[in-house]
Amino acid sequence: MNDDLILELKNQIIDALNLEELTPEDIDADAPLFGAGLGLDSIDALELIVILDKNYGIKLASPAEGKAIFKSVAAIAEYVAKNRSR
Amino acid sequence: MMTAVLGTNIVSPLGRTSQENYDAVKRGRSALTGLEKGWNGIPEKITASVFGISGDTDSKRGRRFEDIVVESIAAALEGTGVNPSSERTVLIISTTKGDIESLVPDTLSRYSGPAGAVHRIARHFGIVTSPVIVCNACISGGNAQLLAARFIGAGIYDNAIVCGADTVSPFTAAGFLSFKALSPFECRPFDMERRGLNLGEAAATIVFGRVPDRNSGLWVLEDGAQTNDAYHVSAPSPDGNGVCRAIEAAMKGTAPEDLDCISLHGTATLFNDQMESRAIQDSGLSDIPAMALKGYYGHTLGASGVLETIITMKALENGTVLPTRGFEEPGVSGRVSVSAVERPSGGKGRFLKILSGFGGCNCALRYGRAENALPLATDCGHIEVLGDIRMESPYDFDGTYKTSLENNPKYYKMDMLAKLSYVASELLLKRFPSIRPTSVILFNGSSSIVQDRKHVDMVMGNGGFFPSPSVFLYTLPNLAVGELAIRNGIKGETALYILQKKDPGLMDDIIRVSLPKGTVALTGWVDCRAEDDFEVDLKLITIN
Repeated sequence: MNDDLILELKNQIIDALNLEELTPEDIDADAPLFGAGLGLDSIDALELIVILDKNYGIKLASPAEGKAIFKSVAAIAEYVAKNRSR
Repeated sequence: MMTAVLGTNIVSPLGRTSQENYDAVKRGRSALTGLEKGWNGIPEKITASVFGISGDTDSKRGRRFEDIVVESIAAALEGTGVNPSSERTVLIISTTKGDIESLVPDTLSRYSGPAGAVHRIARHFGIVTSPVIVCNACISGGNAQLLAARFIGAGIYDNAIVCGADTVSPFTAAGFLSFKALSPFECRPFDMERRGLNLGEAAATIVFGRVPDRNSGLWVLEDGAQTNDAYHVSAPSPDGNGVCRAIEAAMKGTAPEDLDCISLHGTATLFNDQMESRAIQDSGLSDIPAMALKGYYGHTLGASGVLETIITMKALENGTVLPTRGFEEPGVSGRVSVSAVERPSGGKGRFLKILSGFGGCNCALRYGRAENALPLATDCGHIEVLGDIRMESPYDFDGTYKTSLENNPKYYKMDMLAKLSYVASELLLKRFPSIRPTSVILFNGSSSIVQDRKHVDMVMGNGGFFPSPSVFLYTLPNLAVGELAIRNGIKGETALYILQKKDPGLMDDIIRVSLPKGTVALTGWVDCRAEDDFEVDLKLITIN
């Protein structure tokens, strides 16, 4: 049910994180975003917080709060579906 | 010959002279104020040190940056006998953004970088030499003092006017908010409960001169050093090795017990204070009384290094090490002697000032009183160019990256200035596979104006207030230098200077006084005036 949202998020992540050489198909929705997966770092985590705020009206106070949410694109989609205000 | 402090001034919300400022701090006053949500368009409650809650000083021209710089320099010059219009006097301005209030949608142009404001300031004082703007993130104020001492030590100038200044604006607040680095409450350096930094605005000036007289009683900048962590553009190396190496170099010839105190960077972010405590412990300085002053002023960015140096001098002249305001219970793993209460100083007349900043840069300065000062050794060498590369618009640097360079996932995260520096340095260094530079000094004229526009659009544009941490990061032009340091493991001195124009003579002077003989460095001009108007002239050099 979250397929559209997952694709939408993948596109936003590619755009905001300047993952120039990736397409949505290259990102496995269940793969870890940090560490091994896409190799994102602490600034990327902050960019993900901006995505949630700007596009879904979800405010996170700190990257620590995002830790569980930012496990994978699928985890973000699930959180967004539950908590979005726009 | 020694480089001594002839005059000082601080213009801040706590006072208009160094003495007024010191007296206020000594009484325990802080300039930090809670600013309501919506202040100057900032949609969150912040705590900051600002001249007036309304956001304006008594500025007549709407140019607060220039007003406070002019006021501070004029006051610092008083009674020093230094002639600002002499060709033996240089003006060095330390700032991260200069006239930041012009960086708004209506007025932002390619001339909105610090060079324009500094040109007007220089004209006001009749300066005839070329001003140098140090734009090396939060170490700028230390870097500027060190450059002044090196210029004077090398005999290039007799006097230097060093002024550090920045003002608080939605531009910077937005960026630090996106980094989750601002504490909504008064900052608490080194404390268990620290939640981040507060921004502050101020201008602080030190007038330097050559002083042969040991009985002058003046403060002498004895030594100093700059290093890079080569670790991460926005996070310090957790082990503090960059700060350690800067301290080690600045302490050469002296022992820890020769110090009365350490004036810390102490921003009250989790990362900075933790790293700094490790560096102090590893440098064997845990027992030296230390103080962090950002609880009084917030982080005044380009001003902080100069302002905190002056307050430290005043405190030691007064026989005291000041309390670290906001500190109660240690919240760092390294042992560092900060205190919530005032302590008497040792009376040795010597202190260390340390600073760290985005882009991985660190700086340590050692000051002593003239009677027992050890003069800064400046033995300049000559520049030998090993190779160079030039790129000018129109040039497809992304295309060159794709076709000719090794894949680097960080490349597309960089701004134009960093990309251009990166592509040019990769192509240049490929030609010299056995040569490893240890230092980077870059120059430009337009600061980070292309990236500034992007950030302004995201903060003050029609889309609302959604600052991006990575976009903001590169509005510090020295990030281009930091990227080269990370890529090439460069752990020596790194700096970015903004000049009025590409001035090869001045650039060579700065490089020669900054880098010791034997150093291999990337140096040169990397200027982005607009997306379609840029110039790169990068060199691989060695100093003989």
